[in-house]
Amino acid sequence: MTEYLIRRLLQSILVLFLISLVTFGLIHAAPGGPTQMMISPGMSPAAAKVQMHNLGLDKSIPEQYWIWIKNLLTGDLGKTFKNNTPVGDILWPTMKNTFVLMAFSWVLSMIIAIPWGIYNSTKPYGISDQTANFVSYIGFAMPAFWFGIILQQIFSLQLNWLPLSDMYAMDKQGNFIDLLYHLILPCSVLVLANLAAYSKYSRSSMLEVLEQDYIRTARAKGVPERKVIFRHALRNALIPIITVLGMELPALVVGAALTESVFNWPGMGRLFVDMARAREYSVLMAITLVTAVVVVLGNLIADILYKLVDPRVQLGRKGGKSA
Amino acid sequence: MASKKKWLSLMVSLSVVSALFVGCGDSKTAEAPKDEPKKEEAVKTDDKPAESGEPKQGGTLTVGTFSDIVSVNPIFVQDTASGDAEQFLYAKLFDYDKEGNVVAEPWSLAAEPMKISEDGLTYEIKLKDNLKWSDGQPITADDVKFTLETIMNPETGSPAISNFDKVSKIEVVDAQNVKITMKQVYAPFKYSLAAEVAPQHVLKDIKVTEMQKNSYGTDPAKTVTSGPWKWAEWKQKEYLKFEANPDYWGPKPNIATVIYKIYADQNTEVQALIKGDIDLVSGVPVTQLDAVKKVDSINVASLPGPQYEFVGLNRKPENFKDKFVPWEGQKTRQAMAYAVNRQGMVDNVLKGVGQLMNAPFMPNSWADPGDAAVNYQFDPEKAKQLLAEEGWKAGSDGILVKDGHRFSFELQYNSGNSRREQVSLVMQQNFKDVGIEMIPKAIDFAAWNEQNLTPGKFNAILLGWSLNSPDPDGESTFSSKFFAPTGQNMVFYKNDKLDKLWEEGTKVVDQEKRKEVYKEIATEISTDLPYIFLYQYGTPQAHSKKIKFKEEDAPISNLAYGEFFHVINWWMDDAK
Repeated sequence: MTEYLIRRLLQSILVLFLISLVTFGLIHAAPGGPTQMMISPGMSPAAAKVQMHNLGLDKSIPEQYWIWIKNLLTGDLGKTFKNNTPVGDILWPTMKNTFVLMAFSWVLSMIIAIPWGIYNSTKPYGISDQTANFVSYIGFAMPAFWFGIILQQIFSLQLNWLPLSDMYAMDKQGNFIDLLYHLILPCSVLVLANLAAYSKYSRSSMLEVLEQDYIRTARAKGVPERKVIFRHALRNALIPIITVLGMELPALVVGAALTESVFNWPGMGRLFVDMARAREYSVLMAITLVTAVVVVLGNLIADILYKLVDPRVQLGRKGGKSA
Repeated sequence: MASKKKWLSLMVSLSVVSALFVGCGDSKTAEAPKDEPKKEEAVKTDDKPAESGEPKQGGTLTVGTFSDIVSVNPIFVQDTASGDAEQFLYAKLFDYDKEGNVVAEPWSLAAEPMKISEDGLTYEIKLKDNLKWSDGQPITADDVKFTLETIMNPETGSPAISNFDKVSKIEVVDAQNVKITMKQVYAPFKYSLAAEVAPQHVLKDIKVTEMQKNSYGTDPAKTVTSGPWKWAEWKQKEYLKFEANPDYWGPKPNIATVIYKIYADQNTEVQALIKGDIDLVSGVPVTQLDAVKKVDSINVASLPGPQYEFVGLNRKPENFKDKFVPWEGQKTRQAMAYAVNRQGMVDNVLKGVGQLMNAPFMPNSWADPGDAAVNYQFDPEKAKQLLAEEGWKAGSDGILVKDGHRFSFELQYNSGNSRREQVSLVMQQNFKDVGIEMIPKAIDFAAWNEQNLTPGKFNAILLGWSLNSPDPDGESTFSSKFFAPTGQNMVFYKNDKLDKLWEEGTKVVDQEKRKEVYKEIATEISTDLPYIFLYQYGTPQAHSKKIKFKEEDAPISNLAYGEFFHVINWWMDDAK
């Protein structure tokens, strides 16, 4: 296990390095630099050059990359071109905001969707299952922002029960109750979208397992149905569900750009779009890097969870399920 | 470089949004100045929330916006959001009145109007004697000299450098008096003095090359300011908070707290206005105008702002296939102007929030040429006739041909700007109807600016200019002295008569005489057409009826930052 982890870690570092190299190249290859949005057209070319020089943008791209990676190794993510704000000052609070929203809806989706899917697998095509089907269709078919706007119209503007947007009311910054209050609408949107995927996965995964010979054997032996479902079936059905959840993990820090935008949630999805437009190279690089780390980590966690639910899984050995 | 008064309108942040500086309409500005020829009322004046009641103290004004500030350091401000913040945080040397004249108000740093010498070469400024910074230090002539000299230093990289490039020296006479001497007579210079001042005692020890990176301007605690409100808080991408400055030297503002709140989505911003979360939105998308107008608690003013849109016709042969410029002939350009249904665009795309423009001068400003500019009424038949006179004949595919060249060109605009997208489609059809093929092409703004606009590499562009200063000077945009890439004449337009007139316009100080020059320019430029001038445009401003002001303090639509005109005198009706 330890040996496996070390090997995975080394692999990950290589992957991250390659990602950073490719991203850096791609970002700089995009036409138009950060100064295109900053230099006023009335500025003389000489003055514009001074500004480029002051910002270090007149250096070659390999040289800029070298500076970036050197700083990174000392823990310095760089500063924005726009106003010299340290990238961390923008990134970490934003990531925290996104994490609050995403983790909340993620956990909520799991709590609702997985048991529901399992229940539906025991009574396929029953009323509950049909309802789940219907909800899934809506969740899949309706764009998140559209559903968000509808919720805003009903619950905020018409009924005036819930806040329209933002994380906190202007005069209640940092208040936890106020945060929960503001979480209701955006969470509903995200949960509905997740509900479809999670409940369908758990249902079909369970159905597949329930048709296995060992389930029939268990039932034939007279094992109570409850025990068949939870002891024998569920554990085996969890592997595909873990895969889906593991793949969703990066969303916790990447955020949901459209939902964040509609609810004016100060999160990562929005930050990324803004920064891409402004060609804020250092922020974009930091976001890419963090995302890459989380993706790699998400895979690793999923692998370890496989092992926990299914002792037959051999991590890192031939024939094992390591990615 | 000439006066930096025109900017590319950087309307890229949101698809629906277009205008950056759009104020609330005021019926008075629509008719002033009085000696101007009467113009058609192309814009509607909505009901005014002007009040005669007594101002209330306190309360919070929440302004909705879609972009965050960069830095409020007056030496570096160039984006609208930072400029908005400056309106609350800084006092200016001089302010604009309703007609865009430079005046000394009770809240201006200057004590009295500037004194311009007979020969137009020296400007004397007298400051009020009780001025102080938010940290208690006095504001003196040294601060003025320091600010202007820092801007003028090319090492600083200040975007305002071209405002002061005709200044020869700045002298401190005494603590309250500054004397500026010019290298040459330059009439638009007085508008450059409607500027904010930076504190010398805070910035003097910072190297100019490091100044842009300094936390002055981005850290509220370190940003010493001069205005009625001081900077209490900045949560990046979320909001800025300004609190009334208890030690402010001037007449106290009525409103205690101003919140500048940033929205990522315009629909949400408008909904927040309807719900009452915010009190003022200066860019309601025209698509949502009707919804907002239905709300009783909101006033909407839909006069266009200080900006206009145009089609720039490139004249450099290298930019065309076979080096053939299809619109080299004046009649061809005029035909193109006749072919385009501008009023249709204003009515249908801008939903009426616009006014036709025939010359690059702001309607209703003192330099508005009125009927002196040629108006091209939509007339496809006239267009066809002019094209035939220039020797264009229909080819086999219906597109006009002359000397073996098809009349086909590409029109570029920035992607994501839905107004330009729609306008380009209207134009495509209009041109097709007279036998011209136009291919619209949308390009990401940053890339477009770098690869096409700055070097002047394109056939034609659909773009807007913001007129940040009320001065009519347009030399740096239209004179052949300012060809791209060093100047803003990106279409390589050359007209000797205009070159001379633009120069003359800046060398006459007397406003009445200048007016005659700009009238002459308007006639010539609207006949020769470096651009097809389209319309003055804007996005309507909406504000809650909670915001109250007397009639003379009402927002102004066609002044930069006019949406906060005399905000110091406004009050909130719900103040307790």
